[in-house]
Amino acid sequence: MSAKLTNFLLSAVQIMLGSAVLNSRQHIGLQRVSALAETVRSSVGPNKKYKFIQDDTSGESVLVCSCFRIIESLEPTCAVGQLVLETVQAHHKVYRSGSGCLLLLAGAWSRAALDCLHRGISVTNIISFMSEGMDICLDVCKESTVLFEDLAVTGRRTAAPRGVEKTFTEAPQGSRHMQRATKSDDMTPNMSVRRKTKLSRHFCETTLHLDEPDVPGVSHAAEMLSHGCEGSMKLVVEAFQLQSKKNQELRNPMFDISKVMTCVLPGLPEGRACVLHGCVVLLSHEQVSVAHQIKERRLKVAFINGDLTHTYRHLGFKKPPGVQPVSERSVPSGSSKEDEWLEKVVEVFLSLEVNLILTTGLACESLIQTCCRHRILLVERVNSPALRLIANSSGALPVTYPTQLSEHCVGTGVQIFIWTDLSSYGRKPAAAVNISTGGGVGLVTAVITSCVDGKLQALEDQFWACAHRLHHALKDRVLLPGAGATEMLCIHHLQKAAERHSQADADRAQETKTGTAAGLHRGHVLQLMADGLIDYITTVTVNAGRFSAVEARTVVSRQLQNFHRDQIMAGKFSQLALEAEGDASADKTPAARIYDNLSVKQEAWRKALDLVFLVLQTDAEVITGTGRKGEDNLMLL
Amino acid sequence: MSRLVKKSPSVCTDLPLDNADICNKLRLMRELLGSCYGPTGRLKQIHNNIGGRVVTTSSSSVLLPAIASSEPFVNLIRTSILHHVRRFGDCGLFAAIFCLSLVEQAKQSGLRAKAVIRSNEHLASLCTDYLKQGGCGCKVKLDLCSGRDLVALARSVVSSKPACVLTEPECVHISRLAVRAFLLTVPCDTPGSVSLGQTVRVSVEGLPVTHSAVVPGLLVDTAEDVYLSQPCSLPHPLVLFSASLAGDLSELGDGLIEVHPRVDSDSQVLSQLLELGNQVVRDGVKVFVCQKVIHPVLQLYLTSHGVTVVERLGVTLMEPLIQLTGAQPVATLHSAVQPTAYGQVGGLSVRRFGSKTMLHLQACGESAICTIILCHRNETMLNELKVTCQKAEHVLRLALREPSALRGGGCTETHLAAYSKSEVPALGRGCSQTEYLRAAEAFCRSLESVARSLEHDGGTSTIDPTHAHRWTRPSDVATERRGVGAGCCGCGSLDGRETWTSAEFPPADLLRDASVQPGVLDSFTAKLNALQVAVETANLALDVRYVIRDVN
Repeated sequence: MSAKLTNFLLSAVQIMLGSAVLNSRQHIGLQRVSALAETVRSSVGPNKKYKFIQDDTSGESVLVCSCFRIIESLEPTCAVGQLVLETVQAHHKVYRSGSGCLLLLAGAWSRAALDCLHRGISVTNIISFMSEGMDICLDVCKESTVLFEDLAVTGRRTAAPRGVEKTFTEAPQGSRHMQRATKSDDMTPNMSVRRKTKLSRHFCETTLHLDEPDVPGVSHAAEMLSHGCEGSMKLVVEAFQLQSKKNQELRNPMFDISKVMTCVLPGLPEGRACVLHGCVVLLSHEQVSVAHQIKERRLKVAFINGDLTHTYRHLGFKKPPGVQPVSERSVPSGSSKEDEWLEKVVEVFLSLEVNLILTTGLACESLIQTCCRHRILLVERVNSPALRLIANSSGALPVTYPTQLSEHCVGTGVQIFIWTDLSSYGRKPAAAVNISTGGGVGLVTAVITSCVDGKLQALEDQFWACAHRLHHALKDRVLLPGAGATEMLCIHHLQKAAERHSQADADRAQETKTGTAAGLHRGHVLQLMADGLIDYITTVTVNAGRFSAVEARTVVSRQLQNFHRDQIMAGKFSQLALEAEGDASADKTPAARIYDNLSVKQEAWRKALDLVFLVLQTDAEVITGTGRKGEDNLMLL
Repeated sequence: MSRLVKKSPSVCTDLPLDNADICNKLRLMRELLGSCYGPTGRLKQIHNNIGGRVVTTSSSSVLLPAIASSEPFVNLIRTSILHHVRRFGDCGLFAAIFCLSLVEQAKQSGLRAKAVIRSNEHLASLCTDYLKQGGCGCKVKLDLCSGRDLVALARSVVSSKPACVLTEPECVHISRLAVRAFLLTVPCDTPGSVSLGQTVRVSVEGLPVTHSAVVPGLLVDTAEDVYLSQPCSLPHPLVLFSASLAGDLSELGDGLIEVHPRVDSDSQVLSQLLELGNQVVRDGVKVFVCQKVIHPVLQLYLTSHGVTVVERLGVTLMEPLIQLTGAQPVATLHSAVQPTAYGQVGGLSVRRFGSKTMLHLQACGESAICTIILCHRNETMLNELKVTCQKAEHVLRLALREPSALRGGGCTETHLAAYSKSEVPALGRGCSQTEYLRAAEAFCRSLESVARSLEHDGGTSTIDPTHAHRWTRPSDVATERRGVGAGCCGCGSLDGRETWTSAEFPPADLLRDASVQPGVLDSFTAKLNALQVAVETANLALDVRYVIRDVN
């Protein structure tokens, strides 16, 4: 094995010879971060532009919407790209929103760092000054928070004015379509032909009445957090209300997103989306008839963790490699092992009188058939947290093998409802069935529907983004003024600090003649950080659709000047993006505001800066293993 | 029919240090490692050429294994430094830079290799003797009774790893945790020979660094819905299996097994397992732990009898758990568990950190096992933080054996260089006076170049003639080093107000002034060994005459 070295900085050999300062001004890593950030520029903010991402080798293409999906589908291969992806994924996993903000700011601050390098500011200083700038921003965030309760209260008083809806409905949905377009996708047309909504007598609509205000004002506050996804946020609020009806804790409401599931259902209009208790599963044609026979009854239910096949063994079980059956004479093989197993399993089910079996894995076809004959509904591929929650609430114990089942492992009181009949044939799902415990576990499922296959992913992402926003808002108990107001305040403070440093230093320099460049540099770095935030606001304003880039910049700088003149009074945040979007309806009622999550914003900023710091401090890439030859800037060790 | 290929002859390189290619590689390695040195060092991204994970690091323990060379001569140096790192945990970069620049300086000086080796040996023993002396100017006594010195020592380690991306308060927090974890591993009043306990590191991604914590006892990964046995009577008896209880025949190993078709081996093993479970339940065991997988039927049986079950413990946690509970791991399921094999657990609770659910096992009485939970915002930084904490723990343990530290920030190196220069040359055989003087000069230059490697922003390093400490003048005259004020020397015990006068050795003693405590400390034991390793390796490298490679 040998190790190869590529230099990050332009000329590898020169750098290694020690002329670091001269060449480090062209930092390739920072340039790469900035370039990657540019790919999401048009998707930052509530109004997103769609992008087609095509894979040249396989010919597959995908239409993506959110910043996270863009960067994920791009699959950056370079080392810096992987670092960017890792950071964004870590953020997305926890918050499900704010990835665009993270990326755009990482790009903007990378350019700021590059600028600093050009001016000869040392890496150590860039890092310490930028951290200082971040502290200023985080302090601003802390000071400008609004209590969640206050918002909820104002919401109740103003009783959700219609004007709000109007500003919000300029959402991107509906007008643009998003479609996962694969070359060999013959499924979509076929399905749309088959899928005519049939109103059978089994059709059962489980609409829930959600008008009772369980936690006052939460729905109003949620609306201010929807960031252009009202449809999804409405679902989230429904889910929240269904959940909180159970735990009755009005003083300190929480939204437990670990007990929220989603079920995507292509082929139905978007208006059919709804939230139900329990979980929702899709059943095949033959299972539907069983479901009809046992629906709306209190059922005995068994839970299996794993596959229902005779060859299945639990995780970690190693089959002995060389087992050979030997005997003196050949044993008459009347029935195969599988048949024996099948018989045994069905016997267990029948003796326990279970009507419903939920399994996280797969079941063999013959078992499903046999169960159907015995009026037992066997549901495969149930999400395992959902299975655990339902099992808990029905007093059952999930087991790994069906032969383990005994009386005390079986739960009771589970009901199934047929949510909708999809009336398709063969292996395709024929009906969506709702499995509910009716008990107090708080498991809810959002059914997300769309006629356009490719849009489902985006709708699901939007739902989760909204769910996480509401969850974090309730957890933080505070919110930040959104639509650029917090960023404006940060810019204002950063610029003031920058001025102060430059001024103080100029004075000192006049007095003593030995004034260091420290103040000047510090002021400069802070100013560049503020420019990064300005870039962010401008981008969001442009994406909102009313201004061109130049106009947006003018609007932002005019706002900033007003800011400086007025010396910020509390509550005088101007919400730029909103103004850009709005028309006469945006008449600055407090209800018309947009709010952001404190923790999401803080973490996104901090992670963006972490990324810049990591890349800024990196000066070489070590590639291990024997590799390609003939690259000029590689050095072999 | 096989084809015979003629064996190609071995390749012999004469005088490897005269080979331009090898020299280039050595210089590249020195520059690569030198650029990582110190708190402002640059980071390296390591990955393989087929798109594996990217590791961002500046620590020698990660970097050195990665930079394997195709040249055996380079690998010779690399592995000997790596051995030092594995043994002492710290000062790996110091040893590497020092060793490589010794080789380079010797090459440049044009002296005979034998003469250089002889004088290097002499100078190294001079330096180690001086460092071991009580009145050594760069040694600081550590007060183990106060936490301040230990925290300062840990902080020097933590702050020297920029890839952790820690802010100042976070850095202090982690250093304090490292010290607290270290103190928890020191047993309180054990008669006889004392053996230190263990720290187990658990990492949680996505939480802020300040959520990191130290807890006594062990934290074990567990399923979300773990069954917790009722705290009816403390302590809980515990049984620990190292054998797999998955119910398979994996113990038999490879080879062919012949069985009768009507024999169901699976159910026979299972009944054996259940018998074992039955015995354990009869013996009143409340916690059942297995290093490997437990058969679900056995798990269900145990939990239904009020036993907390932990499976897939992993081999790394076995030793700490044995120490914590006093249990003997059971290696077979074919015989009854001996009563002496049971251990005891003092407390049992479920704790959640971010997305992780963990079972907290506490010892019955005094125990030297603790767990440190490290949180960070992303995985890259978290991995580096883990390495750093391990290093800090190692350094603290070394300090227990030899309670002193060396001034950090390059001041020890410059001080040693000044000392070596001042010493009267002692002539040995095979080395003339001029040769010795020139070799000593090269040795001192190498030491000073290590100190200079701490500066990466183009600043200039200077050495004051009064105290022989290292000072930096930044290129943009704006540097404010974190923690150490603007006008301080490398180790932070002197500020710029003092005037530099004498140029004689020994330099003015500052130990008299108790108020000046250096802010940056290095591990004494690790650095002393690193110095010796560097000189010995360099001497060996200078002594290599031929490199013979079998290229078949």
